[in-house]
Amino acid sequence: MEKPENPLHVPADRHHELAHAVMRRQAALSLRVASVFLLMLFGLPLVNYYLPDLAATPVLGFTATWLFLGVLFYPITWLLSWHFVRESDRIEAECADWRAVLGEEAGEPLEPAGVGEVKPAFIETDAVAEGEDSRP
Amino acid sequence: MTYIPLVFVILIVAVTVGLGVWATRMARTASDFYVAGRSVNVFWNASAISGEYLSAASFMGIAGLLMKNGYDVLWYPVCYAAGYLFLLLFIAGPLRRFGAYTIPDFAEGRFDSPLFRRIAVTFVLFIGFFYTMPQMKGAGVTMISILGWPYWAGVLVVGSVITFNVAMGGMKGITFVQAFQYWAKVFAIAAPVFVLMAVFGGYSQHLGRAAADPREAPKLERDAAVKIKGASAYPANILSFSPLSETTVTFPAGAAIARVSSSRAQGLARETGMPVDKVLRPAPDGLGSAQGFTVPPGATLTAVPYVVHWGSAPLMQWGQPVRGAPRLEFRDPTTVEIAAGSHAPNAPSNAQWLNPFGPLAGKWGYPLLYTYSLIVALVCGTAGLPHILVRFYTNPDGRAAKRTTMLVMLMLGAFYLFPPIWGALGRSVAPDLYAGHLTDSVVIELPKRLHNELLGQVLSGITAAGAFAAFMSTFSGLLVSMSGALAHDIYGKMLRPASSPAQRLAAFKISAVVAGAIAMGLGLLVETFDINMMVGWAFAIAAASYFPLLLMGSWWRGLTKYGAAIGMLLGGILSLAAIVTHMLLDKKMLVIQASPLVRTLLEQPAIWGVPLAILAMYVVSKLTARHVPGDVHTKMLRLHAPEEMGLSRDYIDH
Repeated sequence: MEKPENPLHVPADRHHELAHAVMRRQAALSLRVASVFLLMLFGLPLVNYYLPDLAATPVLGFTATWLFLGVLFYPITWLLSWHFVRESDRIEAECADWRAVLGEEAGEPLEPAGVGEVKPAFIETDAVAEGEDSRP
Repeated sequence: MTYIPLVFVILIVAVTVGLGVWATRMARTASDFYVAGRSVNVFWNASAISGEYLSAASFMGIAGLLMKNGYDVLWYPVCYAAGYLFLLLFIAGPLRRFGAYTIPDFAEGRFDSPLFRRIAVTFVLFIGFFYTMPQMKGAGVTMISILGWPYWAGVLVVGSVITFNVAMGGMKGITFVQAFQYWAKVFAIAAPVFVLMAVFGGYSQHLGRAAADPREAPKLERDAAVKIKGASAYPANILSFSPLSETTVTFPAGAAIARVSSSRAQGLARETGMPVDKVLRPAPDGLGSAQGFTVPPGATLTAVPYVVHWGSAPLMQWGQPVRGAPRLEFRDPTTVEIAAGSHAPNAPSNAQWLNPFGPLAGKWGYPLLYTYSLIVALVCGTAGLPHILVRFYTNPDGRAAKRTTMLVMLMLGAFYLFPPIWGALGRSVAPDLYAGHLTDSVVIELPKRLHNELLGQVLSGITAAGAFAAFMSTFSGLLVSMSGALAHDIYGKMLRPASSPAQRLAAFKISAVVAGAIAMGLGLLVETFDINMMVGWAFAIAAASYFPLLLMGSWWRGLTKYGAAIGMLLGGILSLAAIVTHMLLDKKMLVIQASPLVRTLLEQPAIWGVPLAILAMYVVSKLTARHVPGDVHTKMLRLHAPEEMGLSRDYIDH
């Protein structure tokens, strides 16, 4: 699947800084979503253990903790994954132009020609992302 | 009318074979076989992943385990689904983008080490075979319970059908079958439960009843004749009477009882022992002797609860004295008749069942530690199962991989809402299943409790077909990943690197038949093993070996092949050793004094195994820092940069 003539190809000497920049953005997003998720996963046993009366509060015939873990947990993971995929696509669309990524990092001015070549790829990617996201 | 479930099972097997043959016509190239041509669209791929993921443990195990242990078991479905979120956040995109087809590809490509490929291949096969055994056992046991066929028949039917499908159509062939099986399973777990709730009352109604009367426990609604297992099935040969009331039982064929102990087996140190001579009426001859005692045919026995003392005063809880009851361990199989209105033996009280830290997490007295370790094992284990990971390569690119994972979360969540409902209904409607240790069959048994026998058999047939869909789809995924490991990693990369695509395709077919035959052979050997135990092994190994490898390999540049290999081996092997030691202690095959804390950590090793593997990777990598691959930044970019940069390369030729 090589596309040697692609203007977006990165020269090997820039791999180091680009890897650093791209990974930092993706990792920040992953960690942000994961922290919400881990808080729920590891916080609930603490609530169950130290606040048993709160956990046993009756809600709609369920105990509060059963309702949360057995029913509500799934819609919450759906929201988190939907948020992640949308943001992750946005980051990828931004990172598709490596010159923009590194330029932003190092404060270098962008070459106008480069931006012109890259623009269509941006639009295309965004359109795809939006179309898919509207799925119920 | 008992033939009705058989009709449904034959139907699902026939559709599986038919779809497999139909899909075979579209599978031609090596790429089709290994990765379904990388052209499966997001919806079908997500259905197929979900179909593959929902195994016997998900379909039958969670409902049964929840009926038995209550709240704590909700962590299983939640973490099975949540493990997927972890995959999405940290592993799915990078792995697909790296272009490697198998984890061994990743291992070699990331560290430039053919030796590492060999280690990784060994683990794929190891985890794969471990995970096929419970599927096989589930198939065999279901055949016994619904159709009365011998154990080996179920194993051979499921094994040969799937081996045929995989050998004929490879990944592309099974993709459609698995996608169909996901929808079959959702229908089978959801549709009958709505009918059952209409008859027996809703989900929250059953939970509310338990909450209203926390000290009570379920009572039998009708007389029950329960089959009792012998000593070889320990601990499934136990009949632990309810401490809430006297229970009178009849042994029509007599009974041989090896031991009498207290239902408060995990009792506290200062708790006084049970007055053995007072808890059984009539007091049997030879009670308390090492040989045990026998009960003549037709005799009755009444179990009498006793008040637990703490020192010299009665032990109090909620203003009431705590009671215990006798617990019988049977030496030989027999039958016991329990009258309607009795409290069901072996059933936990409503409070223990409904509230967190019940019989499962609370059993060693370290409930919080147990819960956390269970969570870590399930989440990290899910993210490290090779047959799940291999599916990501059927996506056209990393972006589609993420989208697929999101849809999978939706599909899994929709499914996992239902098994706990089965467990909650089963507790009220069929509590006799507790006495015979048959809670695992609740999804098959519960519909038969409907007064309308025809409807009951039809619904039972639907769940039986769903269970077969579960065995077959998970087994087919495992078989593809193991065939891939044998044919791609061992044949294609190690033995014959110069082989043509046609030869590799032939190698895949031969590998599928060989791996399928081995899996069936192993399946025949594990009839007496516990399904959840075997699944636990696979998860514990995957959590402490592959998960750290993939996480660290995708995100830490400083990881060396030595660090990765040692961390993975250390985590995987020590976790396996811990869990095997736990099993030997549990089955009384190994007798050593281990504190409850140690027992907790042996049963649930993930809480130390995963950090240990990661720590070992870090320390060893720091010590061998000069072995960090020279082009590590390019590799990292290939893992994380969008496809447009053109850095991806594929390991499977088109």
